[in-house]
Amino acid sequence: MAVRHALVLIVLSLYTAFAAGPFVWAAMMSLRTTTEITADHFALPDPLHWEKFPQAWFTSNYQIYFTNSLQVVLAAVAILTVVGAMAAHCFARYRFRLNRIFYFVIFSTIIFPPQITIISLFQILVQYGLYNSLVGLTFVYVAIQLPLTIYILESFFARIPADLFDAARIDGYSDWEIFWRVSLPIALPAVATTVILNFILLWNEFLYAVVLITEEEKRTLPLGIQRFMGDQLEDVGMIATGLMIAVIPVIAVYAFFSEKLIQGMTAGAVK
Amino acid sequence: MREAMPAKRHGGLRQPWGTITAFLLPALTVYAAFTAYPAFRTLWNSFHKVLPRREEFIGLANYTELLQDEIFWRAVRNTITWACISPLVEVTVALLLALALYARIPGARFFRIAWFTPVLMSYIVVGILWVWIYNYDWGPINVALRALGLGGLARAWLGDPDTALPALIFITSWMWVGFNMVVLLAALHSLPKEVIEAAELDNCGWGAKLVFVVLPLVRATLLNLVVLSFIGKMKIFDLVWITTKGGPLWATETVSTYVYKRAFEWTTFDLGYPSTIATLWFVIVLGAVLALTRAFRLREKLEY
Amino acid sequence: MLAFLARLTLAVVGLSVLTGPTHAQQKELTLWTHWAAEQIKRDYVEAAIREFETKNPAIKIKPTWYEKTALYAALKTALRAGQAPDLFYAEPDQVEYMENGFLLDLSDLNWAAIEPWAKQAWTYKGKPYGFPLEAWTVELYYNRKMMEELGVAVPAALQLTPDAFLDLVKKAKAKGWTPMALGVGDRPFPGAHLTHEALLKKLGTEDYDKLLKGKLAWTDPRVVDTLKYVRSLTAAGLLPATFTSLKLGEAHTYFHTNPRALMFLNGSWYTSRAFNAPDKGGQPVDFALGIMKFPNVPGAACADCRTIAVGGSYVGNADTKHKKEVIAFLNSFATVEKGNEWLAKVQVQSGIKSDPAKLTGKAADYFKMIAATNAGATYYFGIPIQVMQGKPKEVFTQIINNAFPAGSIGVEDAAKQLQAAAN
Repeated sequence: MAVRHALVLIVLSLYTAFAAGPFVWAAMMSLRTTTEITADHFALPDPLHWEKFPQAWFTSNYQIYFTNSLQVVLAAVAILTVVGAMAAHCFARYRFRLNRIFYFVIFSTIIFPPQITIISLFQILVQYGLYNSLVGLTFVYVAIQLPLTIYILESFFARIPADLFDAARIDGYSDWEIFWRVSLPIALPAVATTVILNFILLWNEFLYAVVLITEEEKRTLPLGIQRFMGDQLEDVGMIATGLMIAVIPVIAVYAFFSEKLIQGMTAGAVK
Repeated sequence: MREAMPAKRHGGLRQPWGTITAFLLPALTVYAAFTAYPAFRTLWNSFHKVLPRREEFIGLANYTELLQDEIFWRAVRNTITWACISPLVEVTVALLLALALYARIPGARFFRIAWFTPVLMSYIVVGILWVWIYNYDWGPINVALRALGLGGLARAWLGDPDTALPALIFITSWMWVGFNMVVLLAALHSLPKEVIEAAELDNCGWGAKLVFVVLPLVRATLLNLVVLSFIGKMKIFDLVWITTKGGPLWATETVSTYVYKRAFEWTTFDLGYPSTIATLWFVIVLGAVLALTRAFRLREKLEY
Repeated sequence: MLAFLARLTLAVVGLSVLTGPTHAQQKELTLWTHWAAEQIKRDYVEAAIREFETKNPAIKIKPTWYEKTALYAALKTALRAGQAPDLFYAEPDQVEYMENGFLLDLSDLNWAAIEPWAKQAWTYKGKPYGFPLEAWTVELYYNRKMMEELGVAVPAALQLTPDAFLDLVKKAKAKGWTPMALGVGDRPFPGAHLTHEALLKKLGTEDYDKLLKGKLAWTDPRVVDTLKYVRSLTAAGLLPATFTSLKLGEAHTYFHTNPRALMFLNGSWYTSRAFNAPDKGGQPVDFALGIMKFPNVPGAACADCRTIAVGGSYVGNADTKHKKEVIAFLNSFATVEKGNEWLAKVQVQSGIKSDPAKLTGKAADYFKMIAATNAGATYYFGIPIQVMQGKPKEVFTQIINNAFPAGSIGVEDAAKQLQAAAN
């Protein structure tokens, strides 16, 4: 038994090194200069070049990219949460003729390949003056994450016992109050999941951004990294620093909320 | 999968249309404006030549050209290969790891976080990292091969038409195994303990326990993960774009990259032809997903 | 119905969109340009902007520096969206800009100061559309010291015979060197130089032109013979193992710094990177640069035929609100004086008329070498991807730039696929 345990542990450790290794390697390179890296690609950082972080931040417009990403993603996540929760609540709680049809139509969008909308979104946003604007990108982000958000929330709302609503109604709650004071608080774990999930997915989004944004001042982080990589050419050390700046917020979000995320996400996928 | 929901739904007799509209309108508006309308417009585009200052109806010309477009079919082949191999690899490896972890290994929490990191990084970051890992001169893979005296196997992994696609598929597997594993682990933990303990009491072998007890219980989760992975790979763009841009010799061209190239990179400004690709591809994806769910349903029926 | 709905919402949404602060300055011209990583060219352009702004205080030029791929991607969408800058970088292969009426007619430019062939490269349906700042030839650079160490003397005519060149490659390889630094990691053309220069010599300008325009078959025996010769070079280990992923900037340092290659086939804009400071990717101070002609090929119709191309140019946006100012700005470059300054600073040929004889120092030496390899040359204007369009261009790039030199496609197969795409 002990032998088997040890064996399992070894396999797991190996896999862990494999899964986390590239990240650790990049983290190490982010603290080394390119000259040091060229000399030995796998050495430990010594001394630690922390100054590379402010350097990447201030000299390469990272500041701009970061703020843009933060604006777009936070706004999109906020809108998504409210709009998605309202719709999910409605789908879960009210019985009406078109309920399942609407729900199915929205839900089935999950399988849409992005190409089916991206070219015409480009044309449409141009027409309405929302092309190359963070506002336009925010709306698009809301649209692409809406089906998943509604799906996760609806399945959670649907499990809230109906008696609770009846009681609330007898207490004189209006429809809106029932949503705001009963449904949402109970569904908080699921809401948290969608918030975190949407944050991570949108923070990393690239395809829509690359088509819908052209100006330097409006680039989001993934576009910024791509740009940064082009500019730096073979400056591996500096690129590694840039990558770390992009990854750290997501890792932080995950580290704080990992339990919630996994709970909610698995609740959606497991069932 | 879903419990009998309508029964639980609040079943008032009246249909408060005002309230329903108020709740649904924002979502439906966003959906109509940024999903439904663009999708129809793409369909409309596909019958036109769409140049910056003029549009011209050309009927099915784009479609007939597309059917003979070798690069397109190459891209379709690559994408479907990717979408078929990835789910199998990811879910299988993830299941094995989840089973190992289920055996209450010390430090499970740490492992779980470490394995999740790849998913958290964007494809852009992952792509840049793996370009380094596959680097011919100093990438860890070739360095390790040379250290083991297998220098002959070292190659430019992303530059060789034979290895480029497998190399990219490998990256996505590396990324997503952790995610699948965490989900499966949760599924395993949510199983009634008695069932597994009962199987253990019955002195069931490890393999038998897996096949006869555990697998059927987590099947729904497995299928969900397979479909999720499949859909994800049918969309893949970022990773290819940052690493190979579809090269060498179209070995890693996916439908997404080809559409992007034709729409925004080729020396034509025509948006009609890429819209045609998108439309046809949409039909293919839809068919594939329907077939996939149908196949699973069929098996469900056969087994019960 | 859906369209209407979408319009309606978007109109509502549109009201809430915060428009950016309106430009207070009287006239600001925006300029999007390549050369983010090429400091020398950047300095030249920035100096010219400052000069122009001092002379015209009412006009401000606001440049944004890009890497080429990012610039092209941004322009393609921005032009369509009507949000392109007033001025931008372009190369004459981008015929689609002119086909779709995106470029400003530059007939009012001071063309007297521009080389006629450079104007020709930018002429579309009788009107000129681009200001040809940069012109270049494909040059075969080599490391003099390594060549001496190898005991090979470059002949006075500067051109090796096909056999002598193959022999040179083998010798260098036997020494454990990379004979030629070249990489296609981030550009669609460096690998193709090898084959197109060979094809041009073999066919002569006329038939070569036919080949690129689909009027001569890729399966023509002369073409196949040339491909075979090029294959014999690559099979002898001409290119680095990292060829497919090596980026242009990296290929430069590969040649002159680390690990060092005997030769480097590149546009004459080699200088824009190599003449930077060594810690900025430039060649070492003591580097002994040599230039020779591209080797002859077996049965060549025209041993002195070679490519000259108009490269980086500035064009105006057809929709600009400041047409006069755009032309005034470009005209501030269009003088022989500015041409000479370009030559001296950037050390690449220019489409502006200039006089290399006036140069001094390092630049003078460099241009003497360029002049020597170009003596008696018959030029073909433009590299293939500037001449080809659409699918033939895509297939040419994938095969001739990438897979063929990398050795991952055979001669016959390559010819067949190229021919299939040309039809």
